[in-house]
Amino acid sequence: MKKHARKWLSLVTSAGFLSAAAAQRADPQNLLHPPADAWLTYHGEYDGQRHSQLIGITPENVGSLQQVWHFQTDQNQAIKASPILVDGILYLTTPDNLWAIDAHTGKQLWHYRHPLNNAFHIGHRGAAVYKDTVYLTTPDCHLIAFNRLDGTIKWDVVIANSDNGYWSSNAPLVVRNHVLVGVSGDFDNVPGQLKSIDAETGKAQWVFYSTPPAGAKESANGGATGGQMWTTGTYDPELNLVFVGTGNPTPVLNGSVRPGNNPWTCSIVALNPDTGRLVWGFQVSPHDTHDWDANEVPVLADAEFGGQPRKLLMQASRNGYFFVLDRTNGKSLLTAPFATANWAKGIDSLGRPIPDPAKEPTRDGVLVAPNEAGATNFRPPSLDRKTGFLIVNAQDGYGIYFFKSEHGDYGWAGADYNVAGKSFLRAIDYRTGKIAWEHAIGDGAGTAGVLTTESGLTISGDNRVSVMALRTRDGATLWHHAIGKVQNAPITYQLDGKQYLVVGGGESLYAFALP
Amino acid sequence: MRAKRTITVLGPALLAGGWIVAQGMSAYAQGNASGPGSGVRRNPSQSPAALPRPKTAIPQTYSAAQVQTGELRFAAQCGFCHGRDAAGGESGPDLTRSELVAQDRRGDKIKHLLRTGRVDAGMPAFDLSDAEMDSIGAFIHAQMEKLAALSGGRRSVQPADLATGNAADGRAYFNGAGGCSGCHSATGDLAGIATRYRGLALLQRMLYPGGRPAPKPPKAIVTLASGQTVVAPLDAQDEFTVTVLDPSGARQTYQRDAVNVKIENPISAHFAQLGKYSDSAMHNVFAYLDTLK
Repeated sequence: MKKHARKWLSLVTSAGFLSAAAAQRADPQNLLHPPADAWLTYHGEYDGQRHSQLIGITPENVGSLQQVWHFQTDQNQAIKASPILVDGILYLTTPDNLWAIDAHTGKQLWHYRHPLNNAFHIGHRGAAVYKDTVYLTTPDCHLIAFNRLDGTIKWDVVIANSDNGYWSSNAPLVVRNHVLVGVSGDFDNVPGQLKSIDAETGKAQWVFYSTPPAGAKESANGGATGGQMWTTGTYDPELNLVFVGTGNPTPVLNGSVRPGNNPWTCSIVALNPDTGRLVWGFQVSPHDTHDWDANEVPVLADAEFGGQPRKLLMQASRNGYFFVLDRTNGKSLLTAPFATANWAKGIDSLGRPIPDPAKEPTRDGVLVAPNEAGATNFRPPSLDRKTGFLIVNAQDGYGIYFFKSEHGDYGWAGADYNVAGKSFLRAIDYRTGKIAWEHAIGDGAGTAGVLTTESGLTISGDNRVSVMALRTRDGATLWHHAIGKVQNAPITYQLDGKQYLVVGGGESLYAFALP
Repeated sequence: MRAKRTITVLGPALLAGGWIVAQGMSAYAQGNASGPGSGVRRNPSQSPAALPRPKTAIPQTYSAAQVQTGELRFAAQCGFCHGRDAAGGESGPDLTRSELVAQDRRGDKIKHLLRTGRVDAGMPAFDLSDAEMDSIGAFIHAQMEKLAALSGGRRSVQPADLATGNAADGRAYFNGAGGCSGCHSATGDLAGIATRYRGLALLQRMLYPGGRPAPKPPKAIVTLASGQTVVAPLDAQDEFTVTVLDPSGARQTYQRDAVNVKIENPISAHFAQLGKYSDSAMHNVFAYLDTLK
């Protein structure tokens, strides 16, 4: 380890040389086909499968994994981000913070701390890289571009007005020279917006609105605002389409003032990354009144479905349903529950659950499954192609939902309380929607994302302090290690011929490898 | 203004309902961020509060500047769970009705809680400066006073809101289909329950016992390799370990692969019941429990 550290320091001092070589590493070609010694995007690859081809760590040897280093953020904010790895440097974020960390040693190379600001600090999902630049979104809705080797700021632009109720926790998605950045905002009636920023210059290219911008005359969506795109989308280069999940409508619990389905809230939208134009949309929760953002990862796969080859998109959504779509046109192929859900009367001819009006929030309260934490949430699932399993952190949970006219029509506009829940890692067979196995991880909502590897491993966390390796085939536990609560998905990469597993536990990042 | 001019809204027929702003907008032209809702003001509460609020035990005053600073820090650090106005939010309770706040004297209780968190209840510890914590405390106290002066809580759920059930039907369900009487008795453990808990607190306690006072913990029966059996209240468990409280209150942790563990948790019946309740049965059982004064 020491040797690598020295080597690295000498490289940093000759940064001019390194930047020329490094510029090749996160270029558009590598982003399309990431090498084994990198984790270049939030999902690792554009398809969002979060599945590594590495086979160094196997079901047979995973039991001897050992901790190589750990990195303390010295912050009170848990790590909810997925790190990025380029050229032996990890980029890790929490709200207001970006670190560059030597992946060989876990030592900090540089750290940026954003000035104190009063926007929401709910969490941060990660950074993005393009050539020699690393990008960070901040709670007060700046997008900052840094020289990724020394942390100097190249430019800093505002992507939304945080004084109006927006904040950002988003890990941007880079497609060619487009940096796609989303924002959040549930406490104000503000339109949902996804912005494309020029990767080199910081200039705005386009904005896609999921609900009408100010001044727009539009009645089709019933007057809903919201539909924020706060998670990282996926990309199909052949179709040249970006797929993004949109959040809940606002006002959140008061549906009476926004009649109809409220497109494009709680939806999956397919956008042209060059223009921001909507090619299709599919609404997974028409007229949501329970805060069930459809921001979960739209996972892409080219695979056989129903006996013919298809370009699939699948999402295990916060509302408790698993969706398989044909991503060329957004048409439904399969809709099936993967967790307890009591809010729908059935599935309509387009594959959308039909909301039961009796489960809309009331003055005296209704008991609803899932609860607000959701049947799953932003933590990414993983698709293992060998078994056909989408492995997702799922919760069977109940909440009580209230709305009365006194709650008004602004922001949350209601009250809801989680009652109880139990969570599981569930393997959904995407061909049938059936649960192949489940692995209990504790009470309440789960917090860990999932990584699978080609050697047949599923890496995730339980609801207390453990990172775990399960056998993908049947969910059996093969290894575990107490590191603190895992709150995003682990990543893996090869460095100096060795496979590393990197995962956040609590406020620290841990690296594991075979001895 | 500039953003408004450049907005090109394309109709739903063309775009299936998407909205785009055309290219050429400067990264700084943020006129679009003032959404249709930004001019809408929150509705003031119209309902009279049915429950008396806890009263501030020690009257205390803070400077307007401190309260204002506190409002901003509160919004950033606390608002997501407790609501930006401290009157309750996504997962945190209404602090303007908090007994702890009512008993707090210039931050002595609030600051301690901020430093330690309530990890079991999902509240992290906060690493804030003294001045920041003071300002947050000032804001919460100011909100408590302000909302007490108003006639109700915007997001509150009042006992009267919940009074829609039929107590006789609830009693029949309690003793029959619900199976509640298998563990509970109206004249035994539940006697006077409606005087101990009211409104939302009673409903939550009924659906899934939690909060304070904490319900009786599950019982762990741990059989050691030696054959010795330990029966003790369960403190925590996962797939790998079981932690129990020994008679002195100390925690004792066992590795699951070294012992045999059986957990008896009567509360699990409440979880199973959540899948069986109709909303009317829930309101009826609540109405019945609300008669046990």
